[in-house]
Amino acid sequence: MIRYIVRRLVQMIPLLLGISILVFLLVHLSPGDPVRMLLGEEATEEDVERLNAIYGFDLPLHIQYFRWLSNALRGNLGDSIRQGISVTTLLSERLGATLELAVVSVIIAVALGIPLGIIAAVRRGSLVDYFSMILALVGVSTPGFWLGLMLLTHVALKVDWLPMFGRDGSIFGGLWILITQMRVDVLLEGLRHVLLPAVSIGTGMMAIVTRLTRSSMLEVLGKDYIRTAKAKGLNNQVVVLKHALRNALLPVITIIGIQFGAMLGGAVVTETVFAWPGVGRLIVNAIRQRDFPIIQGGVLMMAVVFALVNLAVDISYALVNPRIRYD
Amino acid sequence: MRIRLFLVALLVMVVGLGGIANASSDTLVIGSGAEAVGLDPRLETDVPSFERINVIMEPLVKFDVEMNLVPALATDWEFSDDALTLTFYLREGVKWHDGKPFTAEDVKYTFEWVLDPSNAAPNRGLYADIDRIEVVNDHVVSFHLGKPYSFLLNNIARMPITPAHDGDREDFRQAPIGTGPYKLVQWTRDDRMVLAANDEYWGGKPNIPNLVFRAIPENATRLLAFEAGEIDIYQGGVVPQELPRLESDPRFVVQRVPGTGYNYLGFNTQVGALSDVRVRQAINYLINREGIVTRVLNNIGTPGIGPIPETLPWFNPDVQRYEYNPEKAKELLKEAGYGPGDISLRLFTNENPDRVRIAEILQFEAQQIGVKIEVFVEEWGAYLSRVQETDDFDIFILGWAGQLDPDRAMIRQFHTDGANNYGKYSNERLDYLLEYGRTVPPDSQESIEIYREAQEIVVREVPYGFINYSEEVGLHHNYIKNWRVHPYGAGAWQDVHLIVKER
Repeated sequence: MIRYIVRRLVQMIPLLLGISILVFLLVHLSPGDPVRMLLGEEATEEDVERLNAIYGFDLPLHIQYFRWLSNALRGNLGDSIRQGISVTTLLSERLGATLELAVVSVIIAVALGIPLGIIAAVRRGSLVDYFSMILALVGVSTPGFWLGLMLLTHVALKVDWLPMFGRDGSIFGGLWILITQMRVDVLLEGLRHVLLPAVSIGTGMMAIVTRLTRSSMLEVLGKDYIRTAKAKGLNNQVVVLKHALRNALLPVITIIGIQFGAMLGGAVVTETVFAWPGVGRLIVNAIRQRDFPIIQGGVLMMAVVFALVNLAVDISYALVNPRIRYD
Repeated sequence: MRIRLFLVALLVMVVGLGGIANASSDTLVIGSGAEAVGLDPRLETDVPSFERINVIMEPLVKFDVEMNLVPALATDWEFSDDALTLTFYLREGVKWHDGKPFTAEDVKYTFEWVLDPSNAAPNRGLYADIDRIEVVNDHVVSFHLGKPYSFLLNNIARMPITPAHDGDREDFRQAPIGTGPYKLVQWTRDDRMVLAANDEYWGGKPNIPNLVFRAIPENATRLLAFEAGEIDIYQGGVVPQELPRLESDPRFVVQRVPGTGYNYLGFNTQVGALSDVRVRQAINYLINREGIVTRVLNNIGTPGIGPIPETLPWFNPDVQRYEYNPEKAKELLKEAGYGPGDISLRLFTNENPDRVRIAEILQFEAQQIGVKIEVFVEEWGAYLSRVQETDDFDIFILGWAGQLDPDRAMIRQFHTDGANNYGKYSNERLDYLLEYGRTVPPDSQESIEIYREAQEIVVREVPYGFINYSEEVGLHHNYIKNWRVHPYGAGAWQDVHLIVKER
């Protein structure tokens, strides 16, 4: 297992190199000049040239790339052109918010989606099945930003205790305070703020999870060993939850992993609607302003996170299904 | 069972925390459309940054809500008759937030820093005519100019003064001090900026002890947060369709004032059919300004006339007006020797939905008289590159903001050598007027006459087709008193210490 993990981590290196080269080329070859955008309309030609020299934009592309790479390998992703702050600082102050939103969304999706999928599969053709499939269809086809705005106008505006926007303290910090000091207020304050954005992201994900759980369960429930288990006289609940679900969960875990990874890149639209201070807004603004170091560093971070989440998914297969071994 | 009980308890507590959603009476919460890039006036160029900078720091003079220049850190000033020396008499007894006194050295430091090319200050061009800054004594400072520049005062008003003893601190841009009514306490980027009243403020102790800026990028969310009472006040980025409802709701106050900017069609005056002034005039007659203001802009703004806002004294009301008139357009094209189908133009715009709709409307109108317009929508950075660095376009749509004096509003855009003359327009008489205008006292009748003639030329020769003037809209709860919407967004909160919150 350890050897497998190490091998996968080593395999990430060429992947990340490839991604960083690709992003570097895309960013530098697309039209739009960061220095001109920084200096604005008052800029003189000499100012533009001087600043280009300061940032090294006048050097050949491959030299610029190797400069960036050698700094990145030492943990320095450079400074934002526009804000003059280090990219690692900018990313790390937002990573917590993004992680929090992603985790809560996944919890919502899993906590509702998997039970709903199981029930729908077990009672195939029943009213519950139809209801959950319609819910899944609606959930999948509802754009997150629209749902967010609807939640704001029809829930938050009417229900006084749900805030309209922003983030207030971290729920991870809140959990820690709950455990160490037995105080729940920080956690609650964090939850109040994360609830609506998490619901508006989690709904679409829940729909996918429900559908996938259902179809995967249906497939497994038709297998011979389930019939055998039932014939043995095992309690139906045990058959469904222990024998069937474990096998049916594999594709579901894969999808959850992919979705979770994607969310760690930031859910830009939802972050914008709820003024959530996450990574997505930072990177999209950077793209608009051609703030190269942020784009470059941000995408690299997303790639690392995505690769790690994929690895975690693969490892979790082995946990769910002991027949899967890695070496 | 225990878990269930715990969940119920959790829910009850969440509900119980209800009341704290609303801002309390000793805190003013201001909504903002975007986060500040930074808080150093020498480095920032965007309105959201200056909205916040202007409560922490102050310029020598500032624009009040009537767009008059009024004293701030300077109590008085005088321009020498040759417009070559500008002398400021500074307010005495003003202290920085750290207690040190404000003096003429701070003024000298700020502008010398901006003028030093190695600092790459974006707004250096605004002050490039300053040769030398002389500290006469602690409270008198003179700017000596290399050549006359009557409107320098307006540019001075854009630059809050930074402290000589602290301005070089490495994190000054994130945690500055100033002389303004509020001191920065804490800044969580993309979330909130917390400030506390500066009780020593020379303009009097602020009425509200705490000030919070919240960055809410989505207009609809900001409005909802406002209605829910989570923010008290904001300016700009309103949802136009909701204004009639808000205006009739007694809980809210809507303030509107003509702005300082405009949207325009820019013409490439050097290539193809558009090099003929009659063709540009013809296109100008196709802009249905009334229709665009009511239908596209939802009545925020007014039909465009010329490059100078109607509220400035230099505005010329007697220039030619281009009322929507396809017949006249057809005639002009015929006069220029073009029949239906002869002209094909490429119009560029960025993804701004209003501009895209304006482009499509123009495309339709042009088609009616046999002019083909192809519309290209480009991403902002790519679009700016095209307009600023190439002449690979026929028409583009852009806007100007902060047109506070006729010089800024015209010389960069329409002078043959103007830095922002993207359409390569050139007129000898206009060049002369714009250069001469800089040497004439701004408050003289001569100045007014020079710029009225200049506007007359620009409007007649159509390097730009003016679409609409902007309008500033401010929104606050009825318990907020003593605030007026500012025509220039950056100045919205400069008198925030006078605001009263009665609840």
